[in-house]
Amino acid sequence: MSGAALKRTLLRHPGLARPAVVAGMFLAWEIAARWWIDPAFLSPPSKVVASLGELFATKGVPAALRITLWELGVAFAISVVIGLVVGLSVGLSRFANRTGMPIILLLYGIPQITILPLFILYFGIGPPSKIAFGVTHGMFPIIVTIVAGVQNIKPILMTAAHSMGASRWQIFRWVIFPHMIPSFFAGMRLGMTGVLLGVLLAELYVSTAGIGYYTQLFTQSFNPTMLLALVSVLAGMAIVLNEIVRRAEIHFGRWRS
Amino acid sequence: MSADSTAIRVRDVSHQFGEPGDAQFVQALQNTSLDIVRGELMCLIGPSGCGKSTLLNMIGGLLTPTTGAVAVHDKPVRGPLPHDIAFVFQENALFPWCTIIENIKLGMVFQGVPKSEQEPRARKALEAVGLKGFMSHYPAQLSGGMRQRAALARALSLETGTLLMDEPFGALDEQTRMVLGEDLSVLLSRTEKTIVFVTHSLGEAVFLADRVAVFSARPGRIKEIIAIDEPHPRKPAFVTTEKFAKLRNSLYELLHEEIRKTVDQSAAMGAAP
Ligand SMILES: Nc1ncnc2c1ncn2[C@@H]1O[C@H](COP(=O)(O)OP(=O)(O)OP(=O)(O)O)[C@@H](O)[C@H]1O
Ligand SMILES: [Mg+2]
Repeated sequence: MSGAALKRTLLRHPGLARPAVVAGMFLAWEIAARWWIDPAFLSPPSKVVASLGELFATKGVPAALRITLWELGVAFAISVVIGLVVGLSVGLSRFANRTGMPIILLLYGIPQITILPLFILYFGIGPPSKIAFGVTHGMFPIIVTIVAGVQNIKPILMTAAHSMGASRWQIFRWVIFPHMIPSFFAGMRLGMTGVLLGVLLAELYVSTAGIGYYTQLFTQSFNPTMLLALVSVLAGMAIVLNEIVRRAEIHFGRWRS
Repeated sequence: MSADSTAIRVRDVSHQFGEPGDAQFVQALQNTSLDIVRGELMCLIGPSGCGKSTLLNMIGGLLTPTTGAVAVHDKPVRGPLPHDIAFVFQENALFPWCTIIENIKLGMVFQGVPKSEQEPRARKALEAVGLKGFMSHYPAQLSGGMRQRAALARALSLETGTLLMDEPFGALDEQTRMVLGEDLSVLLSRTEKTIVFVTHSLGEAVFLADRVAVFSARPGRIKEIIAIDEPHPRKPAFVTTEKFAKLRNSLYELLHEEIRKTVDQSAAMGAAP
């Protein structure tokens, strides 16, 4: 295949180019780690993958990962419930909207990393502080997206439902709820990103237990292979969780296309 | 006309938006009375902003008159009467997340129709408007004209005695609305429905109506009612008759003056500091 033909094929199928780019990046990493960079700082991906077995055999690591996954799940569930309740009340009531929305936007704007030590102080170094920090990261994007989603509903749809005799509950169930589903899932995706950020930040910040302890351990013992293996597992977890929510979003937003 | 042939009775109705003195205060309708006979098609025509939609929404219970009263089949209207009155709006009011048949069934869910009756009634209504082949499409997949026919099917499926249509073909092109008007005339001649139909088109009014109520400029009142004495269903050839032209011209004369007033009014408002 000539160069021009290859270019044309790739342009027409971006799906083909994507794995190629990823493979190229891994290859560059492999080469750099093998021949250029001090092995005390970087391991090649082949070694990282090979050490996954050892990582899971390290005492305490599987438990720490399990706990992190559990924290992510709990923090996400709490964020969705709070986001839904607050988002709907603020979105559907003019009064709550005028009062609450500026406060929510203000809080959302705070870089929360500055108050992470307070979370540890109040909730301890165990899962509660990590869940709490995940929730404060996850709930705001959900609230904001739901409020926006509820508000841009066409008034004529409410009028039409009202004229056909819909009760308040029916209007919620059959008009507001389906209207808001796409924004709800968009909010959940952003919320998931937030929860991952919050929980993992808190996990890494606490260096005496959990994931943070092991990253600390591997860093201080100059064991980049294990460090990268652990980080890769966390990244893999994040990718899978994000992807689940993204798929759900596409699935429930079909009528929009 | 005997008392019991009156389907809709509008008595001395006024409507204000906002409070007097507000910048947004509008006297939309003033002391309007109108009797609509059972089974007739009454067209409302008048300058933009004179209060036609306001009147229609008051008849349908979506707005409460500031003063005066509306009664449908001798029942005072205090809110929507989903068993008596169905609406077709100018704007696309189909639920975009439901297919066409789901839209029609949802209307019946709201109205309280038993589940077993919903499917056959929805199919019948879709057949009546010629959309049977599109029942599994989403509204976004239909043309504007088809969407309005679907909205009409939804209203028909509710089997109400009264149908209120607010410029249902207003957003469509001239040719499409002519054809839809012809279909509507055929369709409605088979039912016993009382219909109130708002339009801006003189031709549409003469073609469809039994009577046409002409509104004055805002604050709107009914200036005159013209009877169109021609049996339903109306043939497309009616449009080319001299009778049609005469009726259309007399409507035009009545309206022209009011539209001039409306335009001058808003120009004066625009010029005010
Ligand atoms: N919700 C509202 N709040 C304030 N004023 C309103 C509202 N709805 C309508 N109006 C005013 O009331 C007047 C009558 O409105 P309406 O919609 O009944 O007119 P219309 O005759 O249907 O006009 P068109 O032919 O343009 O549809 C208009 O001047 C409009 O500005
Ligand atoms: Mg109107």
